[in-house]
Amino acid sequence: MEAVAKTNAKELWDGGDSPFRVSYGKVMMWYFLISDTFTFAGLLISYGAIRMSHPAHVEGNLHSWPDPNEVFNAIPFTHAHLPLAFVTFMTFTLIFSSVTMVRAVQEGHEMNRKGVLFWMSLTILGGLIFVGSQALEWSHLIHEGQGLTHNPFGAASFGALFFLITGFHGFHVSVGVCLNTWAFIQTYRGVFHRRGHYEMIEKLGLYWHFVDLVWVFVFLAFYLL
Amino acid sequence: MSHATHAEKVKKVWQICYLLGFVTIFEIAAALIHWKFMHESPRWWLNSLFIILSAAKAYYIMSEFMHLKYELKAMAVTILAPFLFLVWGIIAFLWEGGYWLSLKELSKILK
Repeated sequence: MEAVAKTNAKELWDGGDSPFRVSYGKVMMWYFLISDTFTFAGLLISYGAIRMSHPAHVEGNLHSWPDPNEVFNAIPFTHAHLPLAFVTFMTFTLIFSSVTMVRAVQEGHEMNRKGVLFWMSLTILGGLIFVGSQALEWSHLIHEGQGLTHNPFGAASFGALFFLITGFHGFHVSVGVCLNTWAFIQTYRGVFHRRGHYEMIEKLGLYWHFVDLVWVFVFLAFYLL
Repeated sequence: MSHATHAEKVKKVWQICYLLGFVTIFEIAAALIHWKFMHESPRWWLNSLFIILSAAKAYYIMSEFMHLKYELKAMAVTILAPFLFLVWGIIAFLWEGGYWLSLKELSKILK
């Protein structure tokens, strides 16, 4: 591949062809994801700056930064308390849905319409379970008294940043579920098959993996550090 | 593109899946062990571990799932180079946050 690109380098940069040997649609999806990365980075860096401006966690001190092991220890539909258990489940759901998305892309390369439908349906299901879990977590925290301006676990800005950043991420997941559902319907109708390629699934795959990638850092900032 | 067969690519995807799963389990286990048994020990080593493991997860998601490893090098550089700005952003704003804290503490002493 490298050698081929080198021999044709001049020709490639003359226009009429992608210098990266990637289709227009995929390059544009990548550029959108770069800009989206900066939006998320802006949010997470403000989280970091505001967190650094608060003292580390002290039991009972409402000016100190909350301890994630105390905030996130509920498991929905049970009375059990185990720190980070539920968010682990959410993380696995998202990783798994990323894997099923890759499988859908691979079946698309094989022009296997049924395979694409099967793996896309699992991807959509994973996204729905994730957003549903987030709704349960939010409602639990709101019942506990965590809001945008007050927080029983510590500094109030923790709540504001938590709802802003996980909300923005959850919005991305919801958009992804809608787009994936649309692609599922188009696949079912055989639109991509008649077109001769499943590139749309690849572009949506890039977006979906990006959502998973952002979650790695949201998970790091809010639940682990 | 790589010349791997369909079956080899499928196998690779599941390997990455297990890898990401194990790393996540390891992170959670480390967090819980620290919380339960090592409350007094400093957190910096644990936090460093979390940051390194998260970076590793990000690498595997971008290189394998998002296929960046198999694109032309120019493509990968075009995408990754802008993120160098973030290194500056993270250092500058975390430093600034620490300064706000010192101002808050100082104003309490002066009052």
